[in-house]
Amino acid sequence: MTDDHALDLSPRTDGDAPAPTPGSRSRLTWLALGGIGLAIAFVLWQALTSATVFFYNVDEAVARQAELGDDTFRMQGTVVTEAVIAEDGSLEFEIGFDGERASIVHVGDEPSDLFEVGIAVVVQGRWEDTGSFRSEQILVKHSESYEAENQDRLTTDPSVDYDS
Amino acid sequence: MTTVEMPPARSVPEHTGSRLTRALGGAVLVTWTLWLLWGLVLSPADVVQHESVRLFYLHVPMAIMSSVTFSITLIGSIMVLRNGSVFWDLMAGVAAEIGVMFLGLVIATGAVWGKPTWGTYWEWDPRLTTAALMFLVYLGYLVIRRLDMDPVVRARRAAVFGIVAFINVPLTRFSVQIWNSLHQETTISLTDTQMDGAQLTSYALGMLAMATFLAWLLVHRFRVAWLEHAMDESGLEKLIRDRRAEGAANEPGGVR
Repeated sequence: MTDDHALDLSPRTDGDAPAPTPGSRSRLTWLALGGIGLAIAFVLWQALTSATVFFYNVDEAVARQAELGDDTFRMQGTVVTEAVIAEDGSLEFEIGFDGERASIVHVGDEPSDLFEVGIAVVVQGRWEDTGSFRSEQILVKHSESYEAENQDRLTTDPSVDYDS
Repeated sequence: MTTVEMPPARSVPEHTGSRLTRALGGAVLVTWTLWLLWGLVLSPADVVQHESVRLFYLHVPMAIMSSVTFSITLIGSIMVLRNGSVFWDLMAGVAAEIGVMFLGLVIATGAVWGKPTWGTYWEWDPRLTTAALMFLVYLGYLVIRRLDMDPVVRARRAAVFGIVAFINVPLTRFSVQIWNSLHQETTISLTDTQMDGAQLTSYALGMLAMATFLAWLLVHRFRVAWLEHAMDESGLEKLIRDRRAEGAANEPGGVR
């Protein structure tokens, strides 16, 4: 028999690093489980209050305008006009969905660089008495389609006569 | 020094590697190199999303792999309830560990991707909310597996939880169809693909890289779990802990 098979079972004397007892480890596990349970409850609350009706489409929001009053909500539509910066610094543009349009007056932070005519956006804000929508946040909702930049550029440019 | 003579060790492996894992490791290196080269350098940017499209090749494969691992947890949980299989109990646990890791990275890369595209790191949108819920539920599953109780009872309770938790997987997958969501819908399905050739190649390489990585990780982690289980079974760890606690209590000033 060599020392390789000897196992050190000397009692630990360093009081600074006591071995965790099964009881304390169990308490920690139950505490962790309780914390996760609270976090799940919080996420479920968010799910019920925010996620299930994340936004109305423009046609739905216009139809519910009286019902929504001055409540804050989100509205989705495609940008149909170029954004114009008004004298007071707000950004003005229109969005549309299913044949209905809404005028947006955005007073919050600038939207992401993807913001342009033809892209879908979700605006958060409320209806104003003037009939326009006062937005405080613009989220750009990009599509699920992807297309490579510059692909086939030479063969699709209509200004180039490839036959000559 | 107090020592006890231990019997010669049984043929316990010194590491979790094998011919299989070395082959898988080689495949991981090759696929990751090709994926990074193609996804970050050779493939073109996107017309709308520009360079940020490259996050797609990481984010989506990881999301799919997390669903794969949670499916393994589901199968393992069913097997535990059917025949009390230790193999499947351990497999269910390690698959959930890896799935939580993947899902955590999915949420993180999604946030990084969300800022330049949506304009925000986080919103309580249906897809993000259900993904967060799934992450927490499987984290809870892992904690349940650590509860201090009879191993057989614990395995059965974890198995029931592992089956119920799986509801989150289809719920998250179809959340963008069920509710109005900021998150985009499915780009690639069995019947439809809305992505160009070079970009599609990057995505396919990402899937291959993540699948080999998952297989490699799963085998190694399972072998570690199997060894841990063997050690727990021997009860040696408990004996050592009790002996050391006894020694500490007998020291001057120790707790009696």
